[in-house]
Amino acid sequence: MLTREETNRVALLQGTLDLLILRILVFGPQHGQGIAHAIQLNSEDVLLVDHGALYPALQRLEAQEWISAEWGLLSNNRKARFYTLTASA
Amino acid sequence: MMFRRRRPQSDFSEELQAHLALEADRLRATGLSEDQAQRAARRNLGNLTISGERFYESSRWLWLAQFTEDARHALRRLRKTPAFTITAILTLALGIGATTAIFTLVHAVLLKSLPVSKPEQLYRVGKELHCCVWISFSQENGFSIFSYNLYQHLRDNTQGFEELAAFQADGTFLGVRREHSANAAETYFGEFVSGNYFAMFGVSAYTGRALTMADDQAGAPPAAIMSYRVWQQKYGLDPSVIGGVFNINDKPFTIVGVAPPSFYGDTLRSMPPDFFLPLETEPLVKVDSSMLRQAGTHWLDIIGRVPPGANVRSMEAHMRVELQQWLRSHVGEMDANDRLILPKQTLYLSPGGAGITSMREAYEDWLKILMTVAGFVLLIVCANVANLMLVRGMERRQQTSLCMALGARPMRLVRQALTESVVLSLLGGGAGIGIAFAGTRLILHFAFATMTAVPISASPSVPVLLFAFGISLLTGVGFGIVPSWMASRVDPVEALRGSHRTTRHTGSLPRKTLVILQAALSLVLLSASGLLTEALRNLEHQNFGFAQDRRIVVNIDPVLAGYKPEQLESLYRRVHDSLASIPGVSSVSACLYSPQSGDSWNELIYMAGRPAPGRTEENVSWIDRVTPGYFETIGNPIVNGRPITEDDTSGSRHVAVINEAFARRFFKNEEPIGKHFGTSDMKYAGDYEIVGVAKDARYLTYNLDKPVEPFFFVPASQATVYLKPADALTEVRSHFLHDVVVLARPGAKLGEEQIRRALAAVDPNMPVMRMQSLSQQVSSSFGQQRLIAQLTSLFGILALVLASIGLYGVTAYTVGSRTNEIGVRMALGADRVRVVALILRGAVVLIAFGLLLGVPLTLAAGRFLGSQLYGINQSDPLIISGAILVLALSALIAALIPAFKASSISPMQALRAE
Repeated sequence: MLTREETNRVALLQGTLDLLILRILVFGPQHGQGIAHAIQLNSEDVLLVDHGALYPALQRLEAQEWISAEWGLLSNNRKARFYTLTASA
Repeated sequence: MMFRRRRPQSDFSEELQAHLALEADRLRATGLSEDQAQRAARRNLGNLTISGERFYESSRWLWLAQFTEDARHALRRLRKTPAFTITAILTLALGIGATTAIFTLVHAVLLKSLPVSKPEQLYRVGKELHCCVWISFSQENGFSIFSYNLYQHLRDNTQGFEELAAFQADGTFLGVRREHSANAAETYFGEFVSGNYFAMFGVSAYTGRALTMADDQAGAPPAAIMSYRVWQQKYGLDPSVIGGVFNINDKPFTIVGVAPPSFYGDTLRSMPPDFFLPLETEPLVKVDSSMLRQAGTHWLDIIGRVPPGANVRSMEAHMRVELQQWLRSHVGEMDANDRLILPKQTLYLSPGGAGITSMREAYEDWLKILMTVAGFVLLIVCANVANLMLVRGMERRQQTSLCMALGARPMRLVRQALTESVVLSLLGGGAGIGIAFAGTRLILHFAFATMTAVPISASPSVPVLLFAFGISLLTGVGFGIVPSWMASRVDPVEALRGSHRTTRHTGSLPRKTLVILQAALSLVLLSASGLLTEALRNLEHQNFGFAQDRRIVVNIDPVLAGYKPEQLESLYRRVHDSLASIPGVSSVSACLYSPQSGDSWNELIYMAGRPAPGRTEENVSWIDRVTPGYFETIGNPIVNGRPITEDDTSGSRHVAVINEAFARRFFKNEEPIGKHFGTSDMKYAGDYEIVGVAKDARYLTYNLDKPVEPFFFVPASQATVYLKPADALTEVRSHFLHDVVVLARPGAKLGEEQIRRALAAVDPNMPVMRMQSLSQQVSSSFGQQRLIAQLTSLFGILALVLASIGLYGVTAYTVGSRTNEIGVRMALGADRVRVVALILRGAVVLIAFGLLLGVPLTLAAGRFLGSQLYGINQSDPLIISGAILVLALSALIAALIPAFKASSISPMQALRAE
């Protein structure tokens, strides 16, 4: 059973992660792995985001129409899903 | 919009795969080997299953997926406990079915618009119900019924209506025979309508064409529209009917079209018109009793279609001015009274989408009562099923606490339990629709037993189905909310403990509350049915002032058979002689209308030697016209003077017999015999000489709780020549006597066939409209009251049974959970009587609380019933204590069964059972 404090902590964490993602995307479209890596770099390796946790956050932001996503190709011909800030973000 | 966002799971996995590849690329670049990079990438991504799960939960349609899951689960569980499921569904079906049945009627009678195009554009001129003929130049509360002349004036001078149509306020019986048919004329119900009637309603013919203004001209070839019902039932949809010639009251009419099946005319009534005839053919059909050319005879309703955006208020103002103009042009025909109040005459426009709402007015009160009663039953049903659900929840505590211990969220458990309730109530609702259909048909059958075709369908329509669905959902949530909330309050630790050892009776409070509520509501319903039944009994067993036994009333219509006024006296003599010659007939008499027949005529009374009366109710008396021997035949004693006899002929002085109420009203303590009075105008005040006073007899079918009103009876053989055309016409019409009363000798058995044969011997073409015993006629006046009383009683019994089951359930459950304790008590020396008393005490307390709550509710219900109780005491202590007694008795029985079961517990077994 979830207690009250736990619920709050999860909410806080989610908000922070969202903000981190949005900050990265200010510099231009980026894919999930790139965002994860950027967060890690930006915080000088202090913040080690579990990459798996990143995707539900991206999913949520996309649902809220803060970011949009599109499949694209990298220079090395690998496929990736690129996220871009929308006008409403 | 909602679907755009839904992203397939595969797309998401693909993104994760792409992530892994990119991450591995990056790690390889930092110098890791291929294998190491792959593994590190996967490690960094974390738990893939959790990510997938989170993705799934973020779906907007999750609740739906979970709902279908819960619903499937609920169905599976319901299947596993068939006894519970069937009981619950049956109980729910009864409650929902009863409510839906009543709602079907409420919807049809009170809420529905006419089945015509854009009913919201229709406006009726007038707001009162003023059926059916009004002869005067003034109408209280605004003109609501109109003469043909006044209608034409309004139609031709009012701007703004697309169409303004007029139609007869009631219908007309017609003798109809297809041309060249070998059969005799049959009786149908017809209505005279203006040529633009169908155009105004926006209704086109089902086949053929509708009536037009061209049909409604003097001299136009007579045309008529047939109802779909007659076309189907009588003529088997024969296409040759259209364009065929039918003799209506012996005048040839061409059927130009058939009305659509759903169209029942302008008024929802128990007998919709079979034929629609143009107004201009009324003189042709009605001959001597035609009203069309009488400017002061009002017999038409008016409805008009207003285009969207029109200013109805300003149209109303215009029409008021026109009314005044018209009245002023008829000042010469008015009497002094009408002239005096002429400036006050006005009219109102009211919404006409529902047509003329006579049924609405007649049934509104009792439908409201029935709807309330049905609502109460539904509440009791909810309480009962909630109780069952609570027991079920108790039995599942172990499982629920295990679910909680394994991490199920409370919200999810509540939702699951609630879904089960809703599934159950929807199943109950489905069964309830069937019950509602049967119930509505039954009610319609009893309510309108004597009627030919009520245009109310028992089959569920879309609004009714929606209502049933909504009420089922509401019921499901209503009875499910407490049990499902209780389900979430289970302590996970309980799963680990032997819950049988706990002494807390968790959840017994809501269950007890429900039983108290049920008992209270049952008391209300039982008292209400007691009060209504008593009121009905009082009505039926009152002193009517006439005898009912051995009397048969035959309703005939000489107008249909084409009789002229001057032929009537000999007709009634022949009818009398033919019927009197049947063996076993003691006497025969005819009257304009018999007691409790539903018909009534009245007149303003002008007293000789007194000033002209004001047009108020105190100066009005009811009038009936009778043949000699009438008072003996109907069993109405003459208390003073003499009855009407063979000696009162057309040549002798005009006489009248009055009733006691007439004598009281107009003569106070004076001797009425020998006094004179008249009708129509002061110059006729000496017309009738009073020769006798009859005991008060109840003729009217309404105001049954009020004293009998003044009546006077005049001989069929005498007629007064009035100067005013309208009064002259009324005088002629009143000589067409409709009811023939046949009195059988004691012990004689009169067959209906004998009477029909005797009448056919007089004139085979004279239709017999109706034949019934006088006691049947009297009791059918109480049909409405009887139906309410019976339905309320039925609902009351249902409530009583449900409440008893509820109490039984609670008591039995208590016994079950206290088996141990009872065993210990008995082992320690408690005897059976004590155990029974122990269990009963709990039940008695519940019922006592229920009664405590129920009595004030019952008193309030008595006030709510108010006028339906016809003057009996709204809080009759005898009836209420009777209801209390019945409730207490059945509660006692319900509690005794488990109590005895408890007392037969063997202490040894009880202790071993653990």
